[in-house]
Amino acid sequence: MSAPVGASTRPDGDAGGPHPLQGFSSADESARLIRNYRYAVERMMRILGGWIALTPELSAKLLLGRHVWDNAQHADVLGKRLPELRAQAQMSEPPNAAFVAFMNAIEEPERPDQSVERLVGVYRVLKPHLIASYEDHLRRINSVYEPPTERILVRLIEEERRHVAAGSTILRHLSAAPGLAERGDAWQAQLEELLAAAGGVTGAGLPAPARLDGPPSTPALNDDPSQFIRLEQSPTHWPIPEALEGALAGFGAALVARDAAGLGRWLASELLAAGSPAARLAGLGPETHRVVAFAKIGDKRAVKIRLEGVRAAGAERRRDPPHALGPDGRRLARGSRRRGRPRPASARLTAVLSRVLIANRGRSPAG
Amino acid sequence: MDRPIAYDKLAREDRFVRMRAREVAQVKVEQGLPPFPGLFSRESIKERVHGIMVGELQAMEGAGRTVYDFPDAPWEFTMDMARQVWDESRHVDIYIRLLEHLDGYIGEFPETTILWRCACAEDAAARVAGVNRGLEGLACDVFNQLVHIARKMGDPILERAVDFVLADEITHVRMGSKWLTKLTEGDPERRRRAIEFQETIDERFNLGGARQDGAHDAVPISIAREARELGGFTDEEIERLIKTTQRSPVY
Repeated sequence: MSAPVGASTRPDGDAGGPHPLQGFSSADESARLIRNYRYAVERMMRILGGWIALTPELSAKLLLGRHVWDNAQHADVLGKRLPELRAQAQMSEPPNAAFVAFMNAIEEPERPDQSVERLVGVYRVLKPHLIASYEDHLRRINSVYEPPTERILVRLIEEERRHVAAGSTILRHLSAAPGLAERGDAWQAQLEELLAAAGGVTGAGLPAPARLDGPPSTPALNDDPSQFIRLEQSPTHWPIPEALEGALAGFGAALVARDAAGLGRWLASELLAAGSPAARLAGLGPETHRVVAFAKIGDKRAVKIRLEGVRAAGAERRRDPPHALGPDGRRLARGSRRRGRPRPASARLTAVLSRVLIANRGRSPAG
Repeated sequence: MDRPIAYDKLAREDRFVRMRAREVAQVKVEQGLPPFPGLFSRESIKERVHGIMVGELQAMEGAGRTVYDFPDAPWEFTMDMARQVWDESRHVDIYIRLLEHLDGYIGEFPETTILWRCACAEDAAARVAGVNRGLEGLACDVFNQLVHIARKMGDPILERAVDFVLADEITHVRMGSKWLTKLTEGDPERRRRAIEFQETIDERFNLGGARQDGAHDAVPISIAREARELGGFTDEEIERLIKTTQRSPVY
């Protein structure tokens, strides 16, 4: 009497386990899953590449820069597997429209102050989900006839685990300011909802979450997130001459005091004649000021001042920075409020006086 | 995200001071200084290394944008550009460390965005011609000379590190030469426009005559003939570049 289909006698004599040739998908289905993975990986890779220019923090820039190439290789190796499964090479396919919507949401945060959201989307939601999906696939894959796919997934899991560990390190570094961690958590929750609604990268439902708390493999010096942070924190020591420091403090104090006359002492006479930059600068009325950049141009110095708590009125819509040259042509200040963030008209703002070039090395202004 | 993004969306930490290249040059010239830092003192080498570090940062950002901006380009093109992102991110790393080696700091000199602007061309062929052949060609010139000067100064750290970066840059020029040809196959008008774009960049980066055909320690920037040949420049192209350097009085 012959055994029923699917329950044939195992040639290796192990009657307890599944048959060694038992699989969970056809070649066509395997190709579809690979196209699904490739859609997520390719799109993630392009998003990471596009974000580098939009992300101010050096540590995050370097992280994204390193991982674009890894993920391009992942998409490539997945794409090259496809013809081996009777499918077209290098094709990507989302499982459904909801997953496309999820990826659109991942891509959404593009303002300079949204680095935390950017990294949360990729390193706390998408990559962990991909690891979980690959691991789920591996648990079910047939190791006799699918080693090519198996090897690819093993490699991807190892590299994505390294990425997640690196991303988590950078995220902890970037989330140190109050409120940022909570903002990241809220964004993560939103994205996870979208991901669940899509049924994950394959559309078949979410696999069990991957365990990501194990010790990550030691990164090479070239790929170590703590090095990215170290490079971001590369010592910056501004040799500001004492007198110049005093001059900058005087300029800043006049800004805080909304002292148009005091500011006027620092501005070029031709500018004062052309308009009222001192009054406009005074209108910013910041609560505090501090020097955030100090660059050399020969014997001259370009100084950037950050103003915190700028009054919205009058500063909200100005796009052209005021120009100010010193009376003898040796002092110049240019200010521009940071743009791009919608704010209520009454909000207290942060502004950056993008350039204050002072060539007098701290001599007191005339008068 | 927009494709491509606006020039002024380039994000930076506060410690960078961004200025127009022309404005920086003008402030220097007013002080009787050359518009482009030379290689004749440790301070000027530091300034040049800072400029290169910022250039590598913009090159990483530019290559990243190319990966994003052209999803319909051939997959192998995307792979080359993604590889370039990785290379440039390592170069940023290298040049920050070199800056530290020279007792410099990030933000010590203003950042100009002339390079980034060139990396924002809307056509992929123009972008690789301008960035990979124009700007990376300039990088070959600058790095080749820097290796020579570092050797002469007896600074093996600078010499060795820049030598490896130069090898990468030659690879990037080669990618540019390959993709300029492949992307414009059967479209001579597109090729003409891309080359024209590259030539405007070459002209701009002759830096008012700073780039010349000459000995490494005799001219501000010497043209790296051999490196350019390795990157796929023809003799005719190199000769044409040399000619343009002789008529570039404007910075």
